Amino acid sequence: MILESFRRLKQAGVLGMNGRNADYIMRCNPRSFFPLVDDKVLTKKLAESFQIPTPVLYCVVDRYGDVSGFQEALRGICQFAVKPARGSGGSGIVLIRDCTEKGYVTQSGELISPQNLFYHITDILSGIYSLSGLEDRAIMEALIHPDPVFDAVSYQGVPDIRIVVYRGVPVMSMVRLPTKASDGKANLHRGAIGAGIGMNQGTTITAVHRSRVVGNHPDTGNPVSGIQVPYWEKMLWIAARSFEMTGLGYIGVDLVIDRDRGPLLLELNARPGLAIQLANRKGLKERLDRIDQAPAEVFATAEARVQWAREAFM
Amino acid sequence: MKRPALWLALFLFLLTAALLFYRIVWLGYPVFPTAPGKTWQLTINTRVMPETGEARVLLGLPAENPGRMVVEETISSGALNLSLTREGPNRIGIWSGPVEPEGQEIAYRTTILIRPRRAPPERPPGIGPYPDRFTREEIALAERLAGRWKGLPPSDLIRAIAATAGGEWKNPPPEMKDLAGWRALARRDGREKSLLLLLWAANLPARLVEGLPLSESIQNQLLTWIESWNGRSWEIILPEKGKVISDSEAFLPLSVGGVPALRVYAGELTEIRWTLSRQVVSRWSLHGERIRRSGRFLDQWSLFQLPPEFQRTFRILLLVPIGTLIIGFLRNMIGFPTFGVFMPVLMALAFRSTGLAYGLGIFAGILLAGYAVRRGLDKLRLLLVPRMSVILTLVIACFTFLALAGNKLGLREFMAVGLLPFVILTMVIERFFVLVEEAGIREGLRTAAGSGAVSIIAYGIISWDPLQLTFFVYPELLAAVAAVQILLGRYTGYRLSELFRFRAVGGSS
Repeated sequence: MILESFRRLKQAGVLGMNGRNADYIMRCNPRSFFPLVDDKVLTKKLAESFQIPTPVLYCVVDRYGDVSGFQEALRGICQFAVKPARGSGGSGIVLIRDCTEKGYVTQSGELISPQNLFYHITDILSGIYSLSGLEDRAIMEALIHPDPVFDAVSYQGVPDIRIVVYRGVPVMSMVRLPTKASDGKANLHRGAIGAGIGMNQGTTITAVHRSRVVGNHPDTGNPVSGIQVPYWEKMLWIAARSFEMTGLGYIGVDLVIDRDRGPLLLELNARPGLAIQLANRKGLKERLDRIDQAPAEVFATAEARVQWAREAFM
Repeated sequence: MKRPALWLALFLFLLTAALLFYRIVWLGYPVFPTAPGKTWQLTINTRVMPETGEARVLLGLPAENPGRMVVEETISSGALNLSLTREGPNRIGIWSGPVEPEGQEIAYRTTILIRPRRAPPERPPGIGPYPDRFTREEIALAERLAGRWKGLPPSDLIRAIAATAGGEWKNPPPEMKDLAGWRALARRDGREKSLLLLLWAANLPARLVEGLPLSESIQNQLLTWIESWNGRSWEIILPEKGKVISDSEAFLPLSVGGVPALRVYAGELTEIRWTLSRQVVSRWSLHGERIRRSGRFLDQWSLFQLPPEFQRTFRILLLVPIGTLIIGFLRNMIGFPTFGVFMPVLMALAFRSTGLAYGLGIFAGILLAGYAVRRGLDKLRLLLVPRMSVILTLVIACFTFLALAGNKLGLREFMAVGLLPFVILTMVIERFFVLVEEAGIREGLRTAAGSGAVSIIAYGIISWDPLQLTFFVYPELLAAVAAVQILLGRYTGYRLSELFRFRAVGGSS
C-alpha cells in the first residue's frame, strides 16, 4: 500500500522535501546569494536596479538609538508597515493604517501607543523575528492597498501571490487568501487558503485549506476558483526577472497587487515551500523536469521564458 | 552529484569490510563479540574503624593465571590511600591513612573470567627448605611418618596424607610413639601446618591458601585450604575433613603461601563481606584482556588500551553517530518533526543517567515551566540575549530544585538531572514558544512529541549493550555508519509523511 502511494506521488510528479533540498535548493541556490533574498532591504535595492516595482521604502532603523527617529523620517505619513528586514513567514509585521492623538491604529483596528511601537521595533532589532536569530533591522514601507479583485475571497489582510521560478522559468503559482483563522495574514501555516493559478490564463483553479481541498472561502463563503488575476503577464515577467536579479535557480517570488501601483515585488524566498503543489493539485517535479528538457533558446530572455511557461504549463 | 557520493559510500564500506576481515581472520577477533562467557563477580566490602595512628588494611586480591582472568576491577578507598602490590604470587591491595572517627568504607569489585581447560601450563613448583619453626626432631618425625608411603603415586600420596587429618592412618599404621608425637605437634601448630609439614616431608610441593569456594555466597570469613602439586596440577585438601578435591577451579585463592589474606594494622574492621555472584558477560572482555597484551598494531591502537573510565565514555560516544543516523532516517525518510538535529541525541545521552521515564518527565516539566515563563517574558519585551539568559537561569534553577528534591526523596534520577543538556533545553523552550506562536499549539506539541519519540528511539539504540560492545571492538564500523549517512543524504525520494501530506495531489492522477 505504501509502495503504491509512492508510485502514485511519483507519477503525479510531486516534489518532496528531500528532493527539493538536495536536487534544487542545494544545486541551484549558491549559499552566498542567500543574503540577497533574506534581507528585504537588499532585495528592494536590487529590484529597483532591475526596474521591478516594490512597496515604497520610507525608512530603515538599524540601531537602537534611531528608534524614536522614525517618526521624523515618516514626516506625517500615517499609513505604513513595520517589518523585520529578515523576517520569515510574516512574523513581526505590524500594519498601521492611521495615526491619532492617542497613538497608531493598526490594520485590525487596534490602538497601539508610540511607546509600544518603539518596543516592537527594538524587538525586531534584537532579532526575535529574524531567520537566524541574529540582530536585524526594521523597515517602514508603504502600506499596501490591495486590489479589490480578491475582496470577495479574503478576510481582512492582503492576499499575496507566490510564483515558483526555476532557472528563470515561472513554474507554478498560487494566491494566498487570508482567513479569520489566519488572523488576516496570508500564511498557509496559520490557516490562510492557497488557491492555485493557471499559468496560461492567470485564473484561479482549485484551493487548499490546511491540506484539504476546498471550493469556497471559509469566512466569506464565495467560490475561490475562476477568478482572473489582473496584471498576470507582468507578474510572470517580474518572477522571471528575479532569476537574473538574484542568480538563484530555484526561488519563490511573492507579489502583491496594489490598488494604485499594480503588482509589487514583496519578497523573495530561497526555500519556497511545497504546499503550492496542493493548491494546484499538481506536482512540481514533473514541470521542473520539463524545464530541464526545454531547448536552450527558451532561457535567452525573461519574455521567452514567460512565453514558454504559459504554453507549456496550461 | 549522485555519483561521487555513491563512490565515497562504497569506499567507506570497503574500508570497513577490509578492517573487519583483517581483525577477524588475522588477529582472531570474535565474530560475535557479544557471545556470553561465564564469569564471577567478587565484591569485598568492609569498614575500617580507627585506632591510634594511621590505619593500614592489607587485602589479598584475586591474581591472574592462565585459567583465571581478572577482567575489570573497581576499587573505592574514600579518603584512604590505595596501592596495589605483588608479594610473590599474591596481589595485595593496601589501604592506608588516617581514618575519621565514624570509620571509612572500603569497597573492591572485580569480574573474574574462569577459563576451564586453560589451566596450568604452570611450571611445577619446587620445594623449598623447611620453615625455621620446626625443630629437627619434628622434621625427622614427619619424614618418618611420610616415609611409610614411599612408592605411592603423588595423587594417592596426597589423599593418604589428607586422610591423616581425620586421624585415619593407612597401613602400615605408625608406631604409637610417633603418633602421639604427631598429635602433640598438630595440636600445637594446627591441622593446616601439620599437614603441610607432612606433605613437604613426603617430597610434595604444597602451600597454604586462603580464599573462597566458587559458589554464589556471602562470606564474612575466608576459607583456608592446602594445595599440593601432584605433578600435573594442584590438588586441594580441605584440612577440616581431610577431603581432597582435584578441581582447582572450584576455589578462588586470594592469598597463597601462608600469607594472611587480610591484615589490619592500627585499625579495626567491622562487617567485612566477601560476596561472590555468577555473571554472564560477553566475550569481548576476554578479548579486551588479550588485546591489551598484544603487540600487534591494531591491538596497540585498540580502544581497550584506554584506561577503563575513558573506555566507558567511548562506548557511548561511538554510538552517537548511529543516533544521529537514526534521527536523519526518521526526519528524512519518515518525516518526524524534531527540534533540531542534536537535541534528541543529547536527550538520549542524558536519559542514560536519569532513566527514560524520569528523563522524559523532567524534560516535559521543564519545557512547560519554561514555556509559561517565556509567555510572561514576552510582555516584558526583553532583548534576545538577556531573554535567553533568563530562560537559561530558569532551567538551571529547575535543575537545582529537582536535584534537591531528589536528595530529600532519595531519587537518584532527579539528582542526575544536571546531565540534561541545559543549553539545548533553553533553545528548545525558545523554539517551542516561537513555533506555538507562529504555527499554533498543535504544531508545537507535534514537534515536541516527535522530538521525544526520536530521543526514545536514540536512547534505545545507544544503551543497547551488544551494539555498544560491537562498536567498541570494531570502531571501524564508524566508517560504515558514515557511508550510510552519506547514502541517506542522497535520498531524494518522498518522506513517509509526504504520502499523507500530498495525498490530494497523488489521488487526482
